[in-house]
Order: sequence, then C-alpha cells, then structure tokens
Amino acid sequence: MKPEYAFFWIAVGLYGLSACSYIFGIIARNEKLFLFGLYSALAGYIPHTAVIAIRWSETGISPFFTISESIVFGIFCSVLIFVTLEFSNKKVRPLGVLVMPVAFVMMGWAGTLTKDAASQIAPSLQSWWIWVHIIGAGTGFGSVLVAAGLGLMYLLKEKYSGGIYEKLPDLQSIDNLGYRFVAGGFIMYGLMIVSGAFWANQVKGNYWNWDPVEVWSLISWLIYGIYLHLRITMGWRGRRLAWYALIALAAMIISYWGIPFTVETFHAGFRIEH
Amino acid sequence: MIRKIYKFLSSTKLALILLIAIFACCVMGVTILRGERAWRLIFNTLWFNGLLIFLVANVAFCFFGRIWGRKLTLISLGMILFHLSFVAILGGIVYNSLFYFRGVIRLTEGETLPNGELQSYDIVDRGRFFSFAKLKGETTLIKMHKGYKVNGADKQVAYEVAVGEGRSKQQGIIYITHKLDHNGFGYFRDKEGYSILIVLYDKLGRELYGAYVSLQSLKQKDNLYLYTTGTKYAPGNFPFPQPPSEPLFALQAAYNPDPKKERGGDTIFKVWSLVESEAESKGKPFAEGKAAIGEKIRIGDYYLSAREVRYWVGMNVRYEPGKPIVLASLWVGLGGMVITFIGRMRKGKK
Ligand code: HEM
Repeated sequence: MKPEYAFFWIAVGLYGLSACSYIFGIIARNEKLFLFGLYSALAGYIPHTAVIAIRWSETGISPFFTISESIVFGIFCSVLIFVTLEFSNKKVRPLGVLVMPVAFVMMGWAGTLTKDAASQIAPSLQSWWIWVHIIGAGTGFGSVLVAAGLGLMYLLKEKYSGGIYEKLPDLQSIDNLGYRFVAGGFIMYGLMIVSGAFWANQVKGNYWNWDPVEVWSLISWLIYGIYLHLRITMGWRGRRLAWYALIALAAMIISYWGIPFTVETFHAGFRIEH
Repeated sequence: MIRKIYKFLSSTKLALILLIAIFACCVMGVTILRGERAWRLIFNTLWFNGLLIFLVANVAFCFFGRIWGRKLTLISLGMILFHLSFVAILGGIVYNSLFYFRGVIRLTEGETLPNGELQSYDIVDRGRFFSFAKLKGETTLIKMHKGYKVNGADKQVAYEVAVGEGRSKQQGIIYITHKLDHNGFGYFRDKEGYSILIVLYDKLGRELYGAYVSLQSLKQKDNLYLYTTGTKYAPGNFPFPQPPSEPLFALQAAYNPDPKKERGGDTIFKVWSLVESEAESKGKPFAEGKAAIGEKIRIGDYYLSAREVRYWVGMNVRYEPGKPIVLASLWVGLGGMVITFIGRMRKGKK
C-alpha cells in the first residue's frame, strides 16, 4: 500500500475511535471518554495532515479539486475548528459526539472515492481565486458542522440533567455560541460564492450563470441566510434553531458534496469543436 | 390602501417568504428540472427575475425603513452595508442589461474582421441602449499557440490577437484565465478548431482557386473526433469553388491530424457532381481519395490539395459596464457581514 493510503486509513481509524469514545461517553456519562475522544481526534489529525502533504508534494499540485480531495479538506478544516474550540472552551467537551462521527463517516466515504493524484492541473483551475474559494468552503463547512454539534448539545441539555450535563454551559450560552458559528459559516460561504463569481468572471467573462454547482452553493447559503433571519427578525431561539442547525447540516452535505459533483460543469482542456 | 401596500411591502414576513420562495425555485432548478430546462422554465423567466427584484424592493422598504434613525453602531453599519450592497447589485445588473454587448467572433489565423459589422460575429446579443459606435477598429487573429506555457504552467492553448484601429492596434495573448481588455471590451477564449486551405489546380498543375474552409468537430461513437466540412450535426458537402466563383462540384473534406506532427496529417476528399448533390446528397461520390497535407490528388480533370492547416478560434467579446458595480458590491456586502459579526462578538463579550 502506498504510504498516502496507509496514512489515510490510519486517520480514518483514529477518527472512528474518537467517534466511538464520544458516543460511549454520552451513553455512559463518562467524561474521561470525552478526553480520550479528543486526543484520538488529535492523533488522527497527524496522519490526516500527512495525507494532504504527501499528495501535494508528489505532484506539486494542491490536492483540493476532486470530490474526495474536497471532502478530505472540508474535514481537515472541521477537525481543526473543533479541536481549537475544545481546547479553548473546556465546557463543550461532548461536542465531539456529532462532529467526530460525521468526520469519521465522511472521511471513510472520501476513502472509497479517492484516486491517485492527477499529474496535471486543468488550466481553468490555475487561478488564485480558487484558493479563496476552497478555504471559504472548508472553513464554512467546519463552522456549520460545529454549530450543528452545538445544536445537539442544546437539545441534550434541555432533555437531561445531572452529571455531564451540569458541566455544559447554560442553554442560552450554547444557543449564542451556535449562532456565532452559523454566522461565521455564513460569511465563509459568502466568501466562497463571491470568490467563485470572480473566478468564473476571470475564466468565462460572466460571474453567475445559474449552473448547477452555483445554484447548489446558493442553496446552502440561503439555508443559513434563512436561519439568520428566523433568529434576528422572527425572534426564533433555542430548540427550534437547534433542530434547524441539525437539519441544515444534512441539507448542506447533500447540496455541497452529494449532488453537484455528479454533474459535469467546469470542463476544461483542449476541445476542438464547433 | 397605500399604507396597507407599504406595510405589506415592508414586512419582514414578506422578506422571509421571498427568501424561501427563491430557495424553493433554486432547489427545483437543480432537482426536478435541470440544466437547459431549468434555465428556460425558471431562471430565465420573467416571474423568477421579478421575484428577485421584489426581494430587493422589499429590502429597500423593510430594511431601510427599520434601520432609519437608529444609532449607528458596528452592527447596524454592517447591516446597512450588507443590505445596501444587495440593492446595488440589482442596480448594477439592471444597468448592465441595458448597455451590454456580447458577441462570438470567429477568426482563422491571419484573418482580420471589422469589429463594427454584425457579420463579423456568429452570435450577437446586446442591451437596448448599446451603441454600435463603441465597436471600433478591427480584430486580427495572429496565431493560435498550442501547448502554451506561462511560468511553467500549461495553459494548453493561447490566442495571439490584435485589436483596435490602424496603427494603434493593441496586441495581446488570451488563454483560459487571461482575457484581453480593449476599450472596455473583454476578449475571452472560447473554442478553437481547424481550417484547411483547399486549392484547386487544373490538369497541368496550374492553380485555379483556393479558400480556407473551417471544419466542424464531430464526436464519433468511439469518442474520437472527426474534423470535416458540414454542420454541427453531420458531415456535409459544399459547392466548390465557393460562390461567387463558378462551382464545379460538391466537395466534402475531412482532416485527420497527425498526433505527432503539429499541423500535419492527411485529408480525405469526396466529390459529387453538383446535380447529384442537390438531388440526393447521400448518393455515392463520383471520386474520392486521400492526400497528405501539402500534396495533390487527382479528381477527374482537376487536382485538389489541402495545402495548409491553420487554426480558427472563437472568442467571446463582452462589454458589460454594470459588472464592476456588481463585483464591487459583492465585497461590500461581505465586508458588511463581517462588520456586523465583529460588532456582535464585541457586544457579546461585555
Ligand atoms: C427581502 C430581503 C431582505 C430583507 C427585507 C432583510 C431584512 C433584514 C432585517 C430587517 C434585518 C435585521 C435588522 C435589525 O436588526 O432590525 C436583517 C439582518 C440581516 N440580514 Fe437581511 N434582509 C433581506 C435579505 C437578506 C438576504 C438575502 C440575506 C442573505 C442571505 C440577508 C442577510 C442578513 C444578515 C446576515 C443579517 C444580520 C444578521 C445578524 O445580525 O447577524 N438579508 N435583514
């Protein structure tokens, strides 16, 4: 097995271990398992980073273009945001109970789709805008994933009490924190769409064409735009928005990776046709 | 009555309803309907664009009605910028739709066409108030470069073109991520193909006639391309020599590029009598044969040759004066969101 793939599956394995510890931690109400989950996630992050580094150095082409590469980078950003939050705010330890299973399943899925690194980069992708685009997408996804995790914390805390639930922040704080991650994610998605528009403008001379990938990203953005308006103008709080954040995450994954990649839109290359 | 209309127009409920309606249209447009049909039945319709305009009107009434007179804080400043950008984007789009010009210009290497004449373009689309006086000078395709590289990065193809008037022509290179700008008109790479120079000789080898003929690329069942005269849909013949010269027969030429030698390869000629081609273009040709580029082949009393291969390219020519407003507004909007976000973070800390 090539080292790249070995590292890949080690990362998947450690994320799986982390996901299990979080889930058992919630069931057994055992805080030590959360800590174990956090350190397994951190351990998995090392081979995860190595996968990206190896792929990149092999060809000199940044590995963020195919669907599996895109998922690998999205999870890379998510775990980074998640781990940073865990270390800066010890109260939200159980957050991993949503974040890590999602990271585990998505990485496993990416593993089944992965292909050897391309030896050539399509000319249409040779643009600085693509960098802004990719970073906006990755951090945007990480933020809304954490927001959904906070939504789950909110619902659990509302339902149960005692033990680990006493240690969580109070409901209003969880709600507020979740809102911040949605707003942050919304901005990063905005950045993704704006840079995408500039990129299309550079390549095709128009910034918006209603093509499926564009519309799908608009859909995921509007989902969170509606969230913000429900909160700010309609005064929604708490449970309803917690559910919204969870359902929106599912819609997000579908609209971001599930469907758009199945349609071919940005084809490039030498095509002699009329 | 007017109060009622105003109240409805400026309600936040309407904003949410519109957002959800647009959201639903987008979902429809990429699931049940797709691609061309979605474009025709949703995104390009009057009612959908009406919905977008309605949303902006609603922003203007609702948002600015509410925010008016409120203390200027980081939060409200960001929101103002954000919703203002929304209105500006629409303004930019409307302005652009009145003044834009979009054309596809097709040139064979060495060819020059006047910019101001509609015949120079395969397709022309323009806003109601676009003034043709803006289209000055001419456009020349100097050469198409294959395997073009910029700092080691492979751009695959690049067009070397000159645009402008007389001696003040501006020369430049166009490839996929790089356009040429001239007087507000952007030239973008779009597509390219082969043209062959077909020459007719008499029995003694004296040159009678010659013309560049653009070839169509037709994808075959085996995924290879056939480069031939004809239409977008099928191979076909054409009167040769071309009118206004006196045609002698109907000719189909298919070029088979040499994968190793750039602009090399061979050409298959098929010839029908003019009468027959009109009666039944599928009938058997009275002569056919193959010749390498630059070589002659005997067809009845004449000789034919594909003497030279050149590329033709299609470029998108765009003049979009509203676009800078739209693109700048996108950043203003994003900046507004960031400012509101920072404002809220700071307020939350207290
Ligand atoms: C019909 C169009 C719209 C109307 C009438 C509208 C109205 C409003 C209003 C009234 C507010 C709250 C201001 C306040 O504090 O009172 C607001 C906030 C906001 N709106 Fe809109 N809006 C519209 C469209 C949009 C769209 C399309 C988006 C993006 C998807 C958007 C994103 C936001 C954001 C990010 C905020 C600030 C949320 C926060 O405070 O974090 N708006 N809008």
